[in-house]
Parts: sequence; C-alpha cells; structure tokens
Amino acid sequence: MSRPRLMLRMLLKAVWVRKDRTLTALLSIAVVATLTTAILTVYAGLDAKLNQEFRSFGANAIVTDANGTITPEQVEKIRNTLGDKGEIVPVAYAVVSGPSGSRMVVAGANLSLLAAMNSWWSITKEYSQNPNAMLGSRVAETLSAGQSASPTIATFQITYGGRSADVRAGAVFRSGSPDDNRIYLDLSEFTKLTGVTPNTVLLRIDGSPADIEKQVGTLAASLPHTEVKIVRQITSTQTAVLGRTRSIVLAACLVVVILIVLCMVATLTGSVLERRKDFAVMKALGASNTTVNLLFAGEATLMSVMAALGGFFAGTALAFWIGKVNFGTAISPRLSLLFPVLSGSILVALLASTAPLRLLRAIQPASILRGE
Amino acid sequence: MFARLLFESFRRQLRRKAFALVAIALGMSISTAMIAVATDIGDKIRKELGAYGANILITPIEDNMNVEVGGTSIKPATSGASIQESQLPAIKTIFWRHNILGFAPFLSGQTTLLAGGQPVSVELIGTYFSKPVQTGDEKFVTGVRSINKFWKVDGTWPPDKPGDEPDSVAAEVLAGISLAHRLNLKIGDTVAIGSEKARISGVLSTGGQEDDALIAPLPLAQRILERPGAAGSVLISALTKPEDAFARQNPNTMPPATRERWYCSPYANSIAFQLREAFPNARVEQIRQVEQNQGKVLSRISGLMLLLAIAAIAASVLAVSAIMAATIIERRQEVGLMKSLGAGNGPVALLFLTEAGLLAVVGGGIGFFLGAFLAQQIGQNVFGSSINVHPVVLAIVIFSALLVAFAGSITAIRKAMHFDPAVVLRGDA
Repeated sequence: MSRPRLMLRMLLKAVWVRKDRTLTALLSIAVVATLTTAILTVYAGLDAKLNQEFRSFGANAIVTDANGTITPEQVEKIRNTLGDKGEIVPVAYAVVSGPSGSRMVVAGANLSLLAAMNSWWSITKEYSQNPNAMLGSRVAETLSAGQSASPTIATFQITYGGRSADVRAGAVFRSGSPDDNRIYLDLSEFTKLTGVTPNTVLLRIDGSPADIEKQVGTLAASLPHTEVKIVRQITSTQTAVLGRTRSIVLAACLVVVILIVLCMVATLTGSVLERRKDFAVMKALGASNTTVNLLFAGEATLMSVMAALGGFFAGTALAFWIGKVNFGTAISPRLSLLFPVLSGSILVALLASTAPLRLLRAIQPASILRGE
Repeated sequence: MFARLLFESFRRQLRRKAFALVAIALGMSISTAMIAVATDIGDKIRKELGAYGANILITPIEDNMNVEVGGTSIKPATSGASIQESQLPAIKTIFWRHNILGFAPFLSGQTTLLAGGQPVSVELIGTYFSKPVQTGDEKFVTGVRSINKFWKVDGTWPPDKPGDEPDSVAAEVLAGISLAHRLNLKIGDTVAIGSEKARISGVLSTGGQEDDALIAPLPLAQRILERPGAAGSVLISALTKPEDAFARQNPNTMPPATRERWYCSPYANSIAFQLREAFPNARVEQIRQVEQNQGKVLSRISGLMLLLAIAAIAASVLAVSAIMAATIIERRQEVGLMKSLGAGNGPVALLFLTEAGLLAVVGGGIGFFLGAFLAQQIGQNVFGSSINVHPVVLAIVIFSALLVAFAGSITAIRKAMHFDPAVVLRGDA
C-alpha cells in the first residue's frame, strides 16, 4: 500500500471507527459555523431592515417655497429624483372661516397618500356621504362643543373669499402635533375653493440617514428658489438608533462567537489529548512528527469542511428565519460569507487539534503506552 | 466509598474534567451575557430615544384652535391662555415622576426685531435651555438641550437666567438659521427685540419652525411679549412602555382593580392621564409620531436581540451537551470495570450524574460571573452605562447547566451500560 493511500485509509478509519468522538467534534464545529453565519448574515442585513422600519416615521424632509408656489413641474422633478425610493405629498394651506365664523386652517392634500405617510395617526372613522376631508382632533372638538353626537360635525360649510364649499369628513385623526388644529381637504376641491396651489411638499425618503442627506442635497441643487429641509428630529433618531443597535449587536455577536470558538477549541483539544495512545503507537511504529501532525491535521480539516458546510446552510436558514419572524421579511443569504466561515472553521480546527500534539511530543511514547 | 470514588475521579482526571468545566463555563457565560443584554436593551435604547424628542405635549385647555400656517401663528398676540410657569415643577410630582426625563416650556409670539436697518416682524420663542428646577427636595436640570438633542447650535447656547432679576449683562438669544440668513444676522450681533436688547450667541438649526424664529430664555420672552410667568405649551420627554391594547382602553370605564393596574403602568397614555390630574386646566397629549414609531422600532430591536439570544443559548447548550456525552463515552472502560466488580446500573449512573452535576454547578457559577462581566463591558462600551444582571439569572443559569449536563450525560451513560463489561475491558467496543 502506498503512503498516500495508507494515509487516506487511516484518516477515514479514524473518522469512521470512533463515530461518537467524530460526531462530537463535527457537532461542535457545525454549531460554531451555524452561529457565526447566522450572526454575520443578520448583522449585514441589519441596517437595511432597520432603515425600512423608519419609513413609518413619515416625512423626513420638507420642500417649501415661502414666496410662491411649487409648480407641477417641480413636483414632477421631485418625484423623478426620488423614483421608487420614497413618497411625496404636496400640501397647500389657507385660512378659512368655519361654521360659526371662527377662523381655521385648511390644508389641501391627497388624503389617502397623507394618511399612508402619517401612519401613526390614530384615525376614527366618521360617516358622511362621499367624504372629501379629514378633521384634526381639536377641530372636531371645537366643532362639536355643545353638541353630543359626532355625526353632526361630519358635514359643514367653510368660506374663503366669498366662495363656500362643503366639508364632508370621512375621519377624525389624532396626532399630538399642530396638525390636530387643521382640516385636510382633498387637494382638487381645496384648489377649486381657494385657488391656492401647494407651497409645501412633504417627502418621505427611504434609506439610511446618509442616503437621505444625499437626496436632499440633489433636490436642493435641482430646485432653485425653494428650501429643502431635513426633519432633523427623525434623521437624528434614525442615526442614533442605527448606531447603537449596530454596536450592541456587534458586541454581543463578538462575545458569542469568541466564546463558542473557545468552547469548540476546548472540545477538540480535549478529544485530541484523549488519543495519546494512538499518538504513542504511531510514534512507536516509527512515524515522524510530520506524519503524525499531517494525520491529525488532515482529520481536523476533513471534519471542519463537512461541519462548516453544514453549519453555513443551517446558519443561513437561521438568519432567514430570524428576519421572517422579527422583521416580517427574510434576511437574504450571503454567499460571500461562505469563504470566511469555511476558512475560519478550518483554521480554528487545525489550531485546536495540532496544538496539543506539541505537549504530547515532550512525552516518551513508551510512558504513554504504559499508561503513565 | 461513593464520596471517595467521586473525589478520586476528579483528582485523577483533572485535565479531562478541566476541559468539561471550561466548556460548560463558556457556554453558560454566553447564556448569561445574552439574557442580560436581551432583557436590558429595550430600556437602554428607549432612554437613548427619549433624548431625541419629547413624547408628551401639554397645552392650555381654553386655548382656541391654533391658527398657524408654516410655523407662523396668525392668531392675535394677545389671545391664548397659558400655563403658569410656577406650576411646572408639578410635572415631577406625578406617580411616574422618575420616568420624566425632562421638560421644556415654550412661549411664542410675534414681536419686532431691529437689527441695523428696518424693524421686521419675527416670531420669538422663549424656553428653558438647561435650567435647574427645584422639585421638592430634588434639583433637576432640564430644558431643550436635554429633550431636543437634535437641535444643533453653531456658536454657544445662551445661559438661562435663574430668575426674573434685572439683567446686569445683555441677555443672549439664538437666531434660527433661516432667519439669520434672511436678515443677515451674525453671532455676536446685538439686536433690539421689542423693548429689550440682546446679543446673538449662536445660530440654531432644527429643521422645524424654530429655524425661522428667535429663541430666547423664557423670562426674557415673557417680558418682551408682556406675559409674565406664562408658558404657552410644555414638551415632556418621558420613559414609556410601548402602547398595547390595554394601554388604549379608557380608564374611566375600567373596574377599580384594572384601573389601578393601568394607572401604575408607564404607558404614555397613563403618564398623560396623571399629568392631566396635575394640570386640570391643560390638555395633555402623547405626540404620536414619536411615541408610536419608537415603540415599533424598539420592539423590532428587542425581538432581534431575543432571537439572537435564543440562537446563542441553543448553540451553547448543544455544545455543552456534546462535550458531556463525549466525556462519558471516553470512560466506557471504567463502566466495564465497575460493572465487572459487581456494581449495579443505578450506582454507576449515580456516580456519573453526580460528577456531571458538580461540573455543571461549578461551571455554571463561573460562567455566570464571566457572562455578567461581559454584559457589563458591553453596556459600558455601547451605552456608557452598565447592563445589570439580575441575580435570578444565576439560578436560571445553574439550573440550565444542570439540565444540559444531565441531558448530555444520560444518553451516553445508557449507551455505555449497554456494552458487555468483558468486551469493553478487552478494548474491543
């Protein structure tokens, strides 16, 4: 039998004959590979997932033109710049006279887009025929003062510059912001009544705070005479949350990966030390240090390749599941992690299984065989 | 005899036992650290977020609807009810006072600004920047600098005058960035606001309506707007629990026991309710944009940490179980020897399980302290405050270490007992 064939046979036999021990080693390497893959995949997908969550905060930038109106061409330009990476709602404001001559602010906007952008509004449905407006909670309170049933406030008239229009409220919303003092009227009816066109565009730009800054820069450059402002409260929160979350996940992951690798090293080292007798027999039969090292290293490599491959797929599945359960969308697999996970596993397994051989080399084979 | 067997087993196989111990300790420290981080991260991030925007707003109840377009109030300056500034310390007397991270009163109105040339009408906002407030025997520093951390100032923040005493030096104010550009105001300029003179100490940018206003210490704004002791609204930043179905119920229709539970939960709704009790003439609202969305983001982050913790704990449990199984399989010969000397299955199993139990208790204990130390380090590095590990986690960790060690051992012991002692002793098994 040639040397390489003998080597291969010993390698396979070593794996096969001690199935229990092999299984333990395989399991511990696979656990490390699974966890590392899962954690790295989650970490890599974290920013995108969290930025997605911040969409629910609503408008994070505002375009205004203090002196005039924002033309439909400009609105189109904004829409084209954002593409599918955001939503826009043009809004126009006017002060009108309400039912008892009180002055109130009416804003014109696309109501369904507005409600979608302000998803945190607590909306109570009102029942009116063919609704064309939403009332802020304070408007509703003021209108219903002295009246008990809410449907009576659902329809009323407002006047502006001698013209009047019907407001048919489809909903009352509560936001805890100045919006509660406003009536939002469908934009086309608003323009028909007042002749005022939008001078403000609310923007929800998707992406990281840096992406938002960049888009705002692009918009500011392409829309002269208007002011494009970031709603700093939202982007600052986003930056803070992203930064802290990234750090805590990274720190926790480092701890887990380091400890679990140590755990695996302890297992592998322990199992190699248990094989003192194999080592001694080989040495007694005349094997060189290199040959013995090669054999143990070969075994470790063989096992770690199998375990790391299995672990990579299990870890990818775990990350996929975490994404599904926690964020409602899967975290996609990253093939680019395969190489680092594989090579890392092999390296650690090699170190863990060949380092103890140095200790054994110091002992005479005969004394190991005698059981000393 | 049993004790001696146990003792000798540890003494003679010190290295083997040490490896098992290290593995259990490492596995359990992962569990401890992850449990600690996952349970504490919600509070930590919430505190972080609290600094990025108030979540409760108090406004006077008699106030008319605010007629305001694009941040400019169209209401006549004389109208509008107010909250008395002297009542504000009552915010820190409610049941959940320790959850109030900060507050800032605001008083705004139109005034004239004379900066070099023509007088211009501008909006003046008075507030606290970083003002010491005495509440009971506690001194508390609060203001926009702590509750609105997204306010950026180029230059320096003006000092809060401790009271209404006459100025010996010129008062300082901030100019909103848009206003500063429009009127060409610079840091260090002295301007006349209404009847008072003030120096511009910095330029403020917030992305909100403050960008087009002058921001002054509250007492100064009260004098200029001639509304002594008044505040128009108060923003409060409170540490709250995310809203759930229970939080949304109406406390007035609840039976007393349920109402008590609702009252004693730190929901934004119940804190607002308590503030309403402290300010009967005011309207207290949760700022839904901040409150609702932060809750959502937080639950995602906590959920993520929880899942990662479960994955890490499951992995460490698997690893520890495998090690325990391996250490017993290695000792088949001992089992064979004991059995051939007449030991029954029971005593042999008992010996091995006791060994596993001892290793689990010691390893779990070491792991707990190592994990607690790591959690604390993570907390210090990421949040600048330590993550405390609840002592009950020690019990959980030791219990799970025992469970894991037994679970790993039992199958291996049963397997070892299956072999014929003679075969094992010959080394053929």
